[in-house]
Amino acid sequence: MWERLKHMLIKEFVQIFRDPRMKAVIFGTPIIQLFVIGYAVTTDVTQVATAVADFDRTQETREITRRFESSGYFRVVQWVKDPEVLRALIDQGEVKAAIQFDPGFARDLARGRTAVIQVIVDGTDSNTAGVVLDYANRIIAQVNREKLQILLAARAVAAGRAAPILSGALPGVELRSRVWFNPDLRSRNYYVPGVIAILIMLTLMMMTAMAIVREREIGTMEQLLVSPIRPAELILGKTLPFALIGFFDVVVITTVAVLWFTVPIQGSLVLLFGATSLFLLPVLGIGLYISTISKTQQQALMSTFFFFQPAMLLSGFAFPIANMPEAIQYLTYLNPLRYFLVIIRGIFLKGNGVEVLWPQMLALLLLGLSVLTASTLRFHKRLG
Amino acid sequence: MNGRPDLAVRVENLERHFGDFVAVDRVSFEVPVGEIFGFLGPNGAGKSTTIRMLTGLLSPTGGSGWVGGFDIRTQGESIKEIIGYMSQKFSLYEDLTVEQNLDFYGGIYRIPKERKAARKAWALEMAGLVGREQSLTRELAGGWRQRLALGAAILHEPRILFLDEPTSGVDPISRRNFWDLIRSLSRQGVTVFVTTHYMDEAEYCDRLALIYRGRMIALGTAAHLKREHMPDAVLEVAVDRPVEALEVAPRVPGVREAALFGALLHVVVSDAAAAAPAVRGALEAAGLRVEHVEKILPSLEDVFVSLIEAEDRRQEPKTKSREPRA
Amino acid sequence: MRIARLLAVTRKEVIQIRRDPRSLGMAFVIPMILLFLYGYALTLDVDRLKTIVYDQDQSAASREFLEQFTATRYFIRVARAENYRDVEWALNSGRAQVALVIPRNFARDLALGRRVPVQALLDGSDSNTATIALNYLEGIAARYSTRIVAERLGVNPRDLPVEIRPRVWFNPELQSKNYIVPGLIAVIMMVIAALLTSLTVAREWERGTMEQLIATPIQVPELILGKLLPYVGIGFIDVVLSVLVGTTVFGVPFRGSLPLLLILSLVFLLGALGLGMLVSIKTKSQILASQAAMVVTFLPAFLLSGFVFDIANMPGWLQAITHVVPARYFVTILKGIFLKGVGLRVLGVEVLFLALFSLVVMTAAHRAFRKSLE
Repeated sequence: MWERLKHMLIKEFVQIFRDPRMKAVIFGTPIIQLFVIGYAVTTDVTQVATAVADFDRTQETREITRRFESSGYFRVVQWVKDPEVLRALIDQGEVKAAIQFDPGFARDLARGRTAVIQVIVDGTDSNTAGVVLDYANRIIAQVNREKLQILLAARAVAAGRAAPILSGALPGVELRSRVWFNPDLRSRNYYVPGVIAILIMLTLMMMTAMAIVREREIGTMEQLLVSPIRPAELILGKTLPFALIGFFDVVVITTVAVLWFTVPIQGSLVLLFGATSLFLLPVLGIGLYISTISKTQQQALMSTFFFFQPAMLLSGFAFPIANMPEAIQYLTYLNPLRYFLVIIRGIFLKGNGVEVLWPQMLALLLLGLSVLTASTLRFHKRLG
Repeated sequence: MNGRPDLAVRVENLERHFGDFVAVDRVSFEVPVGEIFGFLGPNGAGKSTTIRMLTGLLSPTGGSGWVGGFDIRTQGESIKEIIGYMSQKFSLYEDLTVEQNLDFYGGIYRIPKERKAARKAWALEMAGLVGREQSLTRELAGGWRQRLALGAAILHEPRILFLDEPTSGVDPISRRNFWDLIRSLSRQGVTVFVTTHYMDEAEYCDRLALIYRGRMIALGTAAHLKREHMPDAVLEVAVDRPVEALEVAPRVPGVREAALFGALLHVVVSDAAAAAPAVRGALEAAGLRVEHVEKILPSLEDVFVSLIEAEDRRQEPKTKSREPRA
Repeated sequence: MRIARLLAVTRKEVIQIRRDPRSLGMAFVIPMILLFLYGYALTLDVDRLKTIVYDQDQSAASREFLEQFTATRYFIRVARAENYRDVEWALNSGRAQVALVIPRNFARDLALGRRVPVQALLDGSDSNTATIALNYLEGIAARYSTRIVAERLGVNPRDLPVEIRPRVWFNPELQSKNYIVPGLIAVIMMVIAALLTSLTVAREWERGTMEQLIATPIQVPELILGKLLPYVGIGFIDVVLSVLVGTTVFGVPFRGSLPLLLILSLVFLLGALGLGMLVSIKTKSQILASQAAMVVTFLPAFLLSGFVFDIANMPGWLQAITHVVPARYFVTILKGIFLKGVGLRVLGVEVLFLALFSLVVMTAAHRAFRKSLE
C-alpha cells in the first residue's frame, strides 16, 4: 500500500511542478496575497482629511481646531470660506470630514450659553465616519471638562473658598484603559494571522478539487481506476500533496508575517502546526467533495468559490460574528474557518495553549472527520 | 505568389528545430494540384510538425514553403482561407452536437447563406451521420468522429486538404471507406496531403514521401519506390513443410532473412537469380518437396523497412542527439 | 473583422454555457449570495460587546456607573468576576472582549469629590472592535464624569459649554451596508471575470479544440470578442439584478442616474472580463488560470478598490498601486451614483481611467493571443 501511495505522490508532485508557472503560482500567490492583504487591509482610522470652515475666527475656535489637529486623528487640509466649496470638497472625496464654527461661537461661550460646533462627516464610508464622530466627541468632551473645571475654580474663588487644588483632577470617573494582546491596536496584527487561514483554505480547496477533476477531464483517471490501486490510496495520493504544500505555505507565510510584518507570535509553533493539520482535514475534505460533484474544472472552480466566499465572509475574518444576525451566527458553527481563526489568532496574539483552544480543535476534528467520511463515501460510489 | 500555379504545395529545405532537437531536417518536395500525396513515417518522424508548418500553426526554423501559391511564413492567413485541416487529435467540440459543430464551422468559414444548408447536408451525407445530427459529438464512436471531422474540414470546399493521421484508431472497414472519400475528393480536383503510419494506406496515394527522423529518405510513386529502392529481392517459396523450411532457408548463402507468410515463405535475398536455385537445392537436400520458388514484388512495407534500416546503418557512425520525439 | 465569424463563436460559446447549467446558475446565485451577506449579515458596526465586570465595591454608586455601560446596546455583561484571575481567563479565552474593574472605595471616593480610577481592559486582538470599544468606553465615562461635575456646579448636565452637532452626509443612518453594497457590484463583476472568462480560452487549449480553430481564417479580435460577448451579457444581467435587489430588498438608496450606471457598467465589464480572458490566453491551463485570476482580478477588486477597506488608510505605496486597479475607479463611481447622486462632472476622471483601462486590456488580450501552437 505504501509503495503504491509513494508512487502516486511522486507522480502528483511531478505533475504539479512540471510546469514552472505552477510553482510560481503555488508559492508565489500566497506571498503576493499576504503582502497585499497585510498592507491593504487596515481599518485603522487616523489622519482623516478634514476641512475647517471657521466663520467666527476667534481664539476659542482656533484653540479647538488646534486640539483636533494635534489629536492625530484629523489632518486639516483646507481652510474654507464658502459653504459651497465645502460641499464640493466632500462630494469629490477630497475631505472626509469638516468642522464648522458659526459666527458668535466665542461670544456664546463667554456668555455661558451653549456654543455649537458642527462636525460634518462623509457617511459613504460608515465605518470611518462612525469612528471620526467618536473621536470628535472625545475631544469635545475633554474641552467641556476643562471648561467646567475653570468654572468650578471660579465659583470656589467667588464663594471665598480656596480654589481647589486641581492637578487636573476633576471629580468624576477616570477611565484607565489597557489593551491586552495588541497594545498598539495595529489592525494588521488582527488581519495577517487570519490571512494564513484564508489563503490556505482557498488555495488548497481549489487545487485539490481541480486537480482531481482535471484527471477525470483528460481521461487519465480511467487508467488509474483500471489499476490495482485502492480508493483509499487514490484519495490519499490526491490530497496528501496539497496537504504538504499547505504546511509549507503555513511555514512561509508565518515566517513572513513574523519577520516582515512584525506580527507577534506568543504561542507555540508546535500547536500551530498541530492545529493546521486539524484544519486541513475539513479543507481537503471539502475539496474532495467538490471534486465528486463536478464534471469539469470550470464547475470545480465555481463550486469552490461558491463555498468559499460565504465561508470567508462568515468566519470572523473581517466582520465580527457577534454582530451578525442570530440565525447566521448559528450557521457559522459549521464553518471550519471560524474555528481556525480563533485558534490562529489565539496562538499569535494571545499565546493561548491547548487548555484554552481545545474546543475549537475538537470542532475542527469533528468537522474534518465527518466531511472526509462523506466525501470518501461519495468518491467510492463514483468509482464503483 | 510564386509562379507555379500547377503546384498546390511546394517546400524547399524546410526545417524545424525544437531547441537541440531537429524535428524536420531540410525537407523538399512538390505536390501538384489534385494529387493525393502521402507523408509516411514511423511515429515521431516529423510528419505532424511538417503539416503544422504548412498550415501556419508553427513557423519554420529554416527553408521555405508555399501552399496554394502563398508563402507559409508571411501569408499564413491567406493559406487558412483555402485549406481544410484535420488534426491528429480529435479537435471538434465534444459538448456540441454534430449539427452544432457543422454550423459553427460553417459560420467560421463564412459559407454563404444560400449554400450553407446544402453544404451541411452534403457533409452529413458524406459522413454517414444523417439522422444523428442531434447526437452529442462526445457520444460518437471513433470512426464516426473522424468522418465528422473530415466533413467539418471540407465544409467550405477548400482546394487543399491537410489530413494528419486521419484514420488512426479507426477500424479497417471505416478506413477503407475513408479512403474512398479521399479518392472521390481528389477526383473532384482537391489536393489531399495526408500523413499516416499505416503502410497499407500508402498504396492509395498517388505519390509518397517517406520521412524518418526528420529527413525525407524516399519520394515517388508506390511502384517507383518498389522498383528503385528495394536493393533486396523477395522470393516466394511454397513447400510441403514450411516450418522445417524456415530453419533451412536462412543458412543458404545470399539469403538475408526468411519469414512465414501464411503457408508460404518469403525469403529476402540479395541476388534473386543466383539465390533461387540455391534455395531450391538446399530445401530439396533437406528432404522437402518444393512446389515453386518465385521472385515477387516486395510490398511497400518491405521497401520502407529496408530503407529505414539502410538509413540507420548510414547514421550509425555519427553520434548525434536524435532521440525520437515522444 | 467579419461579424459572421464573430457571431459563430458567440453562438457556440452560448451553446456551451447552456450545456453547463450548474456553472451558469452559480454565475447568478453567487452574486445574490454576496448581496445577501453584505446587505444583511455583515457589518463592521460594533455593538454587543461581551463584557465581564469585576465590581470590588458593590455599592449603589458602582452599580449605577456600570449601568451606564451595560444599559447601552454596546456592552453586554456576560459574567461577573470574583477576582483578577477570572478577568484574565475571560479575556484570554475570548469569553469577554472588555473587562471593567471598579476599585474598592468607588462610592466613597466619588462622594468625596475625588477622581476615581476605573480600569478597563480590552482584548486588542480584534483591533477594529477594540478601537471602537475604546471610543465608546471613553465616551460613556466622559459623559458620566461631566454629568457629575455639572451636578456639583448646579449646572444642567445638558447645558454644556460646547456641544457637537454631528451631520452625516449621504448615509445618515451610518449603515455600513449602504456603503458596502454599491461597491459590491464591482466585486461581483470581477468575480464573474475570474470564474468564467478566465477559463474559457485555456479550456479550449487543453481540450485541443483551439488547434482546429486557429487553422481557420478566424481573426484574433473576432475570437476574443466573440467569446467575450456572452459573458458580458451574464455580467450585465448580474448588474441589473444587483441594483434591483440592493435597492428594493436592502433599501440601499439610489440617488443618481440609472442609465449612466448601466453604461459605465458595460465599460467596466469589458475591461474586467477582458482581464479574465487575458489571463486565460496567457496561461493556457485551467488550473493555472484560475489561480492567477484570483490574484489578478478578484483580490485587487476586493481589497484594493476601496470597497470595504478605505484606500486613504493604506500606506502610500499601496495607494499608488491602487491607481492601476480598475475596480477602484468603478467603486468610486458606484458609491458616487448610489449615495451622492453625482454625475459625469464629478466622476469625469474616474470614467476616463475606466475607459482607458478597458482599452488597454482589450489591446493586451489581442496582442497576447497567437494563432500558433508555440
